[in-house]
Amino acid sequence: MARSQPPAPPRDLLGPVQGEVSWFCCGTAWGPCSTTGRGACGTCNSGSMQHAWPNTSDNCLAITHPDTCGVGLSRRTCGFNHRTTALCSGASVVTSIADCGPQTDLFCGERSCCGATCASNRLIDLTPAAFSQIASLSAGLRPAEISTP
Amino acid sequence: MTSRRQLLRSAVLGGGAGVLAATTMGSLGPEAAFGAAAPGIEPGTPDPNFAEGRIRDIKGNTLFVLGSNMVFHSIRVVDGTSLWKLGPVSFEQARPGDGLYARGVRMPDGVLAAESVWLNIINIKGHIRNITSDKIHLDHNGKEVLCHLVPGTSVAVYSDAPPSADLSLLRVGQHVQVLGAWRPDTNEADIATVFSPH
Repeated sequence: MARSQPPAPPRDLLGPVQGEVSWFCCGTAWGPCSTTGRGACGTCNSGSMQHAWPNTSDNCLAITHPDTCGVGLSRRTCGFNHRTTALCSGASVVTSIADCGPQTDLFCGERSCCGATCASNRLIDLTPAAFSQIASLSAGLRPAEISTP
Repeated sequence: MTSRRQLLRSAVLGGGAGVLAATTMGSLGPEAAFGAAAPGIEPGTPDPNFAEGRIRDIKGNTLFVLGSNMVFHSIRVVDGTSLWKLGPVSFEQARPGDGLYARGVRMPDGVLAAESVWLNIINIKGHIRNITSDKIHLDHNGKEVLCHLVPGTSVAVYSDAPPSADLSLLRVGQHVQVLGAWRPDTNEADIATVFSPH
């Protein structure tokens, strides 16, 4: 009887992972963001150093499905810290999980670049306060490296 | 070496000399700032050097902004401040009622000396309900946002391809991210960039 192969460990357990970073609004806000709410953790605020992560719970993973894009990510829960480093500028920011997201499966295979430096798949969304520390909000989407601080 | 933070501080406290010194060192645009080390801020906490809200009043070079959390901000715009409203704009384009995000340096008196101000900027995801020659009807969290194409400005980024003015490859039903400028007090926005995964 053939023995089944154990699943590959989540990629981010082995070291930093590269993927796309964008920004999202949450908490009290204006415009289309005004109905967004405080996120899955109930603490999310656009002006705070926070982020959304695709695997915060079983329910979250059932929405974001990074595995569909061939990306395994560790379960990290509310308050866990990640460091996001913009591959364009080298600037980095440390933020804590406040929401579930991004919806990685809806953008499978998408790649963003700055010059010859590229990264694929949406792995993390930062609040405007956090994203604006490493890139201009008008950039919208950037390649990044994600690690634990 | 004089830091960008020191230059902004001197621009506010000491008049224009600091700004002139800054511009001889290079761009004061936002992209130039991001390589510099940011001060450590505890993860999960509010960033004191960041503000959001809507402009209530404009006097001289100061924006008086009421945050969505009802915290009031005075945001000082100096010569080196970069402003964005669907693209780079001058200070005169800021209007009462505009929403904004701003990053800068918080001064001892509480004023935020602005490095960058993004007016009405939105960055929302959703699926395309309908497309016409000049509009995208976007379903964002179950609500429609009417996104207007602006000739000469709006572009689409299809994955890692260069930005293109041709938005004809977008399809009804697909998911996209729209970066644009909200039209205050409406469910409408002008498109800067549509990010499409393919």
